[in-house]
Amino acid sequence: MSFESMVVDLPIFKSAVVSLDVAFSGVIWGWFVTMNMWAKSVGTGVFFTGLYMMRKYPKSSSFFKASIPLIGLVFIGITLLFTWLDLHQMLRVWHMFVFPHLTSMVNVGMWFLNLYVLVLVLLFWALIKQNDELYEKVLKPGFIAAFLATLYTAGLMAQANAREIWQGPTELVQMLLAAGMGGSAILLIIGHFSLNKDEKKTLAQILAFSAFISLSIYVFEIIFAPQKTEEAAWVIHYLTGGELASFFYTALALGYVIPVILVLICQKTEKQSGLLLAAVISLIGLWMAKHSWLIAPQMIPLS
Amino acid sequence: MKLGFLVDLDLCMGCKGCEIACKSENNVPPSSWRLRVKYVDAGVFPETKRAFTPMRCNHCDNAPCERICPVSALHYLDNGIVNIDKERCIGCAACMMACPYGAIYMDPETNTADKCTYCAHRVEAGTQPACVVACPVQANIFGDLEDANSDVSKYIMRHRDTRVRKPEKGTLPKHFYVGGGEINLNPLATTRPSGYGLFNNITHLKHIGGH
Repeated sequence: MSFESMVVDLPIFKSAVVSLDVAFSGVIWGWFVTMNMWAKSVGTGVFFTGLYMMRKYPKSSSFFKASIPLIGLVFIGITLLFTWLDLHQMLRVWHMFVFPHLTSMVNVGMWFLNLYVLVLVLLFWALIKQNDELYEKVLKPGFIAAFLATLYTAGLMAQANAREIWQGPTELVQMLLAAGMGGSAILLIIGHFSLNKDEKKTLAQILAFSAFISLSIYVFEIIFAPQKTEEAAWVIHYLTGGELASFFYTALALGYVIPVILVLICQKTEKQSGLLLAAVISLIGLWMAKHSWLIAPQMIPLS
Repeated sequence: MKLGFLVDLDLCMGCKGCEIACKSENNVPPSSWRLRVKYVDAGVFPETKRAFTPMRCNHCDNAPCERICPVSALHYLDNGIVNIDKERCIGCAACMMACPYGAIYMDPETNTADKCTYCAHRVEAGTQPACVVACPVQANIFGDLEDANSDVSKYIMRHRDTRVRKPEKGTLPKHFYVGGGEINLNPLATTRPSGYGLFNNITHLKHIGGH
């Protein structure tokens, strides 16, 4: 970790050198946590996007009706699996239920996720029993559960007081936009051969819209907004000019810029294959963006 | 009662007696520290100076680690100490994300979070924390912040330059420093060039179980 590389341009500090301290602990929440956030974006995003598509295209509603519980359960399963794997005491996970500390968004989020899982299981049950009435009834509380499950991570990151840049109010919006990207992208991939042009076009528009707004927030937050603390400025430096710069810029290109361009091209040329590519790389870029945003604040010393 | 700490940085000579006493008292495993003394070298030869800063948990009044802990493994004691129940901890490391002071570590032997508890077991028995006893120059001062006649309260009242680390975080630390400068308390006011430290090849214990 070449922390000193960040300060070569700050001569005022160059004469003070830490000559003995504990070794820098480095990244504590790594890619397991990234997997949590990324898979959750897809798992809840498919609910929002699928629901919108069901309403907009009632004739194709059976595809989206099946996609919501099936894709949702798979990706929320991935979320829960990696959350569990990230625990250093995995066998004590039951403590979350018997010793709940409800000021903690880790605990509250766990309840939200479980509520959402319950919703998905009910939707799946209604699907296999072909009980449309039950399916419709579950959708409203399901929307609330999906909404809460999407947003709790922003609350959790806001509670991580040591990690600058996670506390911004835009985190909430970014979580929703990530869900928009994840949900539309996975439906474009899964439905590549079964959805018609209009349906793909609508999904691509959701993907492009979410990616564009999300990218705009990143750009304005990072480039134009002054950072309020020294720590935040250094974290942003890590993302834009430090060790993570190439990774982060690649994430923005893959996840946001290229998909928007591809969608715009496909809208004009009516070509559909570009949409599949846009969806795949947007999911890759979304993972990379989440990962860099997660680890950057962990790269500055706290003591 | 609200127990607090004060370190007089003008007295501390970096002997690390407190660090060793803490490790011994609390069976802190190798490559982990509840309390450590940071050395900072400042200036350009021949005008150089070495500053010493003992660092431990700040036992914040508004502790972000306590708030974020999903199972209340981190909890307040009646005397204000932020204690940890290692039997309850699930090792999610959220407390390590929340603590702005880097005071919490993952114990490689138990796979649970751990940190300074102001030697809560010794305090309960009516004695002082091990680091206070070990300090040869009484740079570590411990006592009840709500008692105007306690040593720590008197020290704070006598000195105008009492500071806490990162007050902007709103954590209301109950750990104070007297003397020293920005390089003691601000981690971004110093550089950490690799290969310059006194101990460069620190071996980290691999976590048993967990990952």
